[in-house]
Amino acid sequence: MSFIISLKDIERFYDVGGEVVRALDGLDLNISANEYISIMGPSGSGKSTLMNMIGCLDTPTNGTYEFENEYVHEMDEGQLASIRNRKIGFVFQTFNLLPKSSALRNVEVPLIYANISKKERIDRAKESLIDVGLEDRMHHKPNELSGGQRQRVAIARALVNKPSIILADEPTGNLDSKSGVEILNIFNQLHDKGNTIILVTHEEEVAKNAKRMILILDGKVKSDIKN
Amino acid sequence: MIMSSIWQNILISLTSISNNKFRAFLSVLGIVIGVLSVTLMGTMISGLDQTFEKSMSSFRSDVLMISRFQWFDGDKEWWQMRNRPRMKPEYVDNLRNRSTMIDAIAPVMERSGEISRNNVETYARFFGTTPEYLKTNEEQKIESGRFFSNIENENGARVVVIGNGIATGLFENENPVNKYVKIGRNKYLVIGVIEKQGSFMGMWSLDNQAIIPFGTYQRNFAKRGWMNLRVKTNSEDINLAKEEITAQMRIIRKLKPLEENNFGINHSSGFEAQYNAIKFTIAGVGFFITALSLIVGGIGIMNIMFVSVKERTREIGIRKALGATPFNIMVQFLTESIIICLMGGVLAISISFIISDIINDFFPSTMPIKLALFSILISVLIGVISGFIPSSRASKLDPIEALRYE
Repeated sequence: MSFIISLKDIERFYDVGGEVVRALDGLDLNISANEYISIMGPSGSGKSTLMNMIGCLDTPTNGTYEFENEYVHEMDEGQLASIRNRKIGFVFQTFNLLPKSSALRNVEVPLIYANISKKERIDRAKESLIDVGLEDRMHHKPNELSGGQRQRVAIARALVNKPSIILADEPTGNLDSKSGVEILNIFNQLHDKGNTIILVTHEEEVAKNAKRMILILDGKVKSDIKN
Repeated sequence: MIMSSIWQNILISLTSISNNKFRAFLSVLGIVIGVLSVTLMGTMISGLDQTFEKSMSSFRSDVLMISRFQWFDGDKEWWQMRNRPRMKPEYVDNLRNRSTMIDAIAPVMERSGEISRNNVETYARFFGTTPEYLKTNEEQKIESGRFFSNIENENGARVVVIGNGIATGLFENENPVNKYVKIGRNKYLVIGVIEKQGSFMGMWSLDNQAIIPFGTYQRNFAKRGWMNLRVKTNSEDINLAKEEITAQMRIIRKLKPLEENNFGINHSSGFEAQYNAIKFTIAGVGFFITALSLIVGGIGIMNIMFVSVKERTREIGIRKALGATPFNIMVQFLTESIIICLMGGVLAISISFIISDIINDFFPSTMPIKLALFSILISVLIGVISGFIPSSRASKLDPIEALRYE
């Protein structure tokens, strides 16, 4: 069986004031297409580092990271930017929308860096916003939208480049429970449509949505349960 | 595709600038002052050039002036030349016969005085010369009437050719030709008027001249006095002509081989050298001030770009996460700094255009189009230089750190 993502013996060390912190310490993880995974772990477990690693925002100190036949651990800044642009859709806890730009402009951003023409950009951004049910909020700025709506804009933005994985970091952390449920429903639908989703969270309720639950402890995979 | 991404960057920059209009305006001021001093300095120098060229038109490059003094001679003080022998009218024919390089030669005596008509008096510069003078000064053209003839010259006829300034001063709307004016105690018939000449370097007017025949001048003013010889050469090589005439003058003056020249042969290049020295001093000082103000302006822009990068750290993180390469980020901030500088440049050019238009009323000054383009180029350059460090810092930000930045 072939994997989209294959992490082998990943180590990531930080030097904090002369002391080496082993954030990831020999971690192995394989992810196949159309999986719905949750990654859990207490703070300091290496969960965030793992998320940054999968998201190609960070590279390992040692070990190999293969993403659809590309060797991420060998990449430079420019190549990492390119793989993030083409293959990863980010959804953040704090939404991370550009505050002065409309929802449509926000969703367009990844397409700008993919060098897609203006017309196609707008068409695809609109399509993506319609998919998350925001067809009547396209020209609103983030501060004119509710938290749930903002997160839906972020999801639209994550989907617009048709990425191989959607990487969500505490996507419900800043939302009330009703909006949180809405967002999780969107993730379920996306998974049903064939998307691969990786959900990083510390809430068990949220994690239970996923089909596979991974627990990280001391920079290693502690448990890997399919439900 | 490249055009569209440039356009994207311009849009992002304009948005960011318009979000902080007042701040952008303040930081632009430095550039405005810098570019303003570039354009004004350039305009001034080009005005000076124009004036100089116009002023020198009566002293063309094929004209030599022989006199007691050598102008702009660094080795000799004027008092060392003061006691040299005078030029003599006889030299004119003598030189003409000896030299093969003389096309025309005229003695010129000169003094100042009053010229009047019907009790209206005006200042004039009197020249006593021969009809050949006109050939040695081709820029001076007779506007109406004529120049005097050889016969009038030899007879010492009381005729005068007046400059445009005297004509308007004494005759207003009348035609002066064939009317009388009074010089000293004598009446002179005006036979011609010279075209308007303007002023020399904006300092003294060339239009208050009154030219009378050489014989008349000697009879009515002075037989001997300040005189120089004006020579138009037929030689392509002015230095050759200068050498040849020097040699002939030495023979005329009967100088022994080891004796120094006791005369001077002057050429417009002496003026030019003098003028260039002045011009380079002005340009040098101007360049210093300009460079200084541009540096200060550039530092202002750099400062504001650092602030802009700092403020937008999170935005940089977001853009990087979504696929912006370090190069993309670099170009984005460079574009912003170039646009700010360009705005300053355009503003400065508009202001200096207005200022040079106002100055033009007193002193010739027009802004050359090349200078405007050059200033635009300078603005872009300042934008690149002062934006470089902040943008490269922005491009190197770690996306993880940047996303965490509050």
